[in-house]
Amino acid sequence: MTPQQWIGKAFSRLIHGRNSLVGRLIRLASAWFIFSLVITAIALTMFFHEAALQRFQVNVSQISNNLLAGTNLEADGSVTPPISDARANFTYSGLYWQVSEVVSGQVVPRASSRSLWHVNLTVPEAILATLQKKPDDVAYYNETGPQRQYLRIAARFSVISGRNFLFIAAEDRGPMDKDVRTFGLVTALALLILAIGSLLSIFFQVRIGLRPLFDLTGEIAGIQRGEQQRIVKTYPAEITPVARQINAFLDDAQEMMERQRMHVGNLAHALKTPLSVLLTAAGDADGALPETVRKQTETMRGQVDHHLRRARAAARAQTLGERTPVEPVLDEMAVMLEQVFQEKGVIIDWRAPEGLSFRGERQDFQEIAGNLLENACIWCKRRIRITAEFIEDEQVLSLSIEDDGPGLDESRFEEVLKRGARLDESVPGTGLGLSIVDELVRAYGGQLKFERAALGGLKVKIRLPGMMENTVG
Amino acid sequence: MRILLAEDDPDLSRQLKASLSDAGYVVDHAPDGEEAHFLGDTEPYDCIILDLGLPKIDGVSVLERWRREGKATPVLILTARGAWSDKVAGFDAGADDYLTKPFHTEELLARLRALVRRAAGHAQPLLVCGGLRLDPRAARASVNGEPLRLTSLEYRLLHYLMLHQNRVISRTELVEHLYDQDFDRDSNTIEVFMGRLRKKIGNDRIETVRGLGYRLKPLHDEVGSL
Repeated sequence: MTPQQWIGKAFSRLIHGRNSLVGRLIRLASAWFIFSLVITAIALTMFFHEAALQRFQVNVSQISNNLLAGTNLEADGSVTPPISDARANFTYSGLYWQVSEVVSGQVVPRASSRSLWHVNLTVPEAILATLQKKPDDVAYYNETGPQRQYLRIAARFSVISGRNFLFIAAEDRGPMDKDVRTFGLVTALALLILAIGSLLSIFFQVRIGLRPLFDLTGEIAGIQRGEQQRIVKTYPAEITPVARQINAFLDDAQEMMERQRMHVGNLAHALKTPLSVLLTAAGDADGALPETVRKQTETMRGQVDHHLRRARAAARAQTLGERTPVEPVLDEMAVMLEQVFQEKGVIIDWRAPEGLSFRGERQDFQEIAGNLLENACIWCKRRIRITAEFIEDEQVLSLSIEDDGPGLDESRFEEVLKRGARLDESVPGTGLGLSIVDELVRAYGGQLKFERAALGGLKVKIRLPGMMENTVG
Repeated sequence: MRILLAEDDPDLSRQLKASLSDAGYVVDHAPDGEEAHFLGDTEPYDCIILDLGLPKIDGVSVLERWRREGKATPVLILTARGAWSDKVAGFDAGADDYLTKPFHTEELLARLRALVRRAAGHAQPLLVCGGLRLDPRAARASVNGEPLRLTSLEYRLLHYLMLHQNRVISRTELVEHLYDQDFDRDSNTIEVFMGRLRKKIGNDRIETVRGLGYRLKPLHDEVGSL
C-alpha cells in the first residue's frame, strides 16, 4: 500500500468506521443530553409533587385545627361536633373528620362528619402510640378510606379536661395525585420533543461541522483515482495544516520520482555511450573477437534496459493523480513515425475520442504507444490503424494497433513477449519493444493481447486504466 | 557529401568519423553544443548527426536554434536514454530521424543515406495561401512561420486543399484523393481529419459549404470581411 492509499483509508475509517468521529460525537452528545433531560424531568416532577402535597396538607391541617378549636365537651360527657366545611355534609364527598376518645387503650368514636356515613376512620397502632407520646403534634399519613378513596390524613392526640381525644381530618388526595401525574406527563412530553429536536440538531451540526473532513477524504480519493494531483479546496484552520501536509507529501513524492527518473536517465547515458563505442569498435568485422563483443554488448544493453525499467516502475508506483490525454500523444507519435518511415510511405490512421485520457504518466503512455507503433511501422507494408476507445463500465482505455504486414503465427504470440526476443533477426530494431510494453501495461494493471488484424497483419490490443473528461460542446 | 558530427564522447566520435569517412562522407566534428551550433550555422552541410546529451548547450536547444534561424538541413539525433519522451522532444525541435545508443554502424549509414536522398528530392514549387506555406519537396508545412506537425493523411488533405484554393471541394473528391484504392472510404473520416486540421492551422481557415464540401480561404479574406 502506498502512503497515499494509507492516508485515504485512515481518513475514511475515521469518519465512517466503528471508531467513527461523527459516531463518537453524536453518541457522546446524545448520551449526555438524554441523561440530563431525564434528570430534569424527574427533578421537576418531584418538586411539583412536593409543592402540591404541601399545599394540600395545609388544607387538611386547617380542618384538623378547626376540629380541635370547635369541639365542645358537654357536661354529660358527649361531644358536640364542630360546624365545619359544607363538603363534610355530603356522603363520601372526599372531605372527612372524626373525633374519637381513647378510653383505656380503646379508640371510641364520639362524632364524625356526615360524609363518613357509617364508616370509621382508624389510626394505625404505631401512629397512635407515637401521637400519645407527643400530644398535640399532627401526624400525616395515607390510608384507604370509603369507596377506596386514597386519603391524606392528619391525626392529632390531645388531652382536654383530662380526657384523651383523637382528632382525625382527612381529604381524598386523588385529584392532587392526578394533577401531579398530568404535570409529569406534560413535562415528559415537552422534554421528549426537546430531546428529539436537539438530537437532530446535534446530528446536523456534527455532519455539517465535519463536512470539511468528508471533503478532504473525497479529495484524497480523487487523487487516488487520478482525477486530481493535489488538495485544492480551502479548509478551516483546523484542517488546513493536514491538507498542507498532504500536499507537501505529494510534492515530495513527485520530486523524489523525478529525481529517480533523472538518476536512471543519467545512468543510461553513462552506460550506453561506452557500449556504443564497443559496438562501433567491433564494427562488422569478421572473427571471434568482434563477434563476442557484438554479442556481449547486446546482452549488456538488454540488462541495462531491463533494470532501468524496473527502477522506473518502482518510481512510478509512488505517483498518483497523473492523467494523460490520448489524442495529443497519438498525434505526435503518428507525425514523428511517419516522418521517420517516410521512405516506406507509412500511413498511420489514428482515431481517438476527444477527452479520452490514460490514467497514468505521460512518459509511460509515450513509451507504450511509441514502441507499439514503431513495431507496426517496421512490419507494415504501408498502412497502420490505431483505434482508441473508452469502455465506460470498466473505466478502461482500450487501444488497438493493426498493421497490414505479414502478421505473426499464433504459436509465437507468447515467445514474442520474452525479454530481448525479436520477431525477425534480419529486421533492425532493439527487440525489446514489446516486452517493455508488456511490462508497462502490467505495471498499470492492464492487459496485452495479440490478434489477427483485419488489415492482414498483427493486431496488438491493450487495456489500460482510462477516464473520459466531459468536453464542452 | 559533407556532414557534421556533434558528439561529445571522444572514442565514439573517432570511430564514427572513421566509418563515415570510409563511406565517402566529409566529416566535421563538434565536441560540444556551442561549436555544433556555430558550425551548423555557418557551413553548408548535407546532413547533421546530433547527440542530444551535448555539453555547454544540449542537442535539443541547438536544433531549436537552427530551425528558428531557418536552417532546413536534415538532422539525425542520437539519444542514449532511449525514452520516447526524448525522441518526441527532439522531433518537436525539428529532428528528421532518431537512433538509440548503442547502434550498429551500418544502421546509422543506412539512415543517413535515406535522409540525404529525401532532402535531395526533385524541386516542386512552394504552395502559399495567406500565412500557410507548404513545401511539397520536404513534405513540410507551416502557418505564419510556425512549423506544422501533420500526419500524412492530414498533410495530403492540406496539400489538396492548397492546390485548389478558393474552390469548393466535395467530400467524395477529397476521399478519393486522400486514400489509395484499398482503403476504407468512410465519409466520417473526412470530418475527423478536417477537425484535426482545423485545430492545427486555425479554425476559420477551412470553410464548410453546406451540402457541397469544403473551401480553403486565404487569411486576408477574413480580415477584409471584418
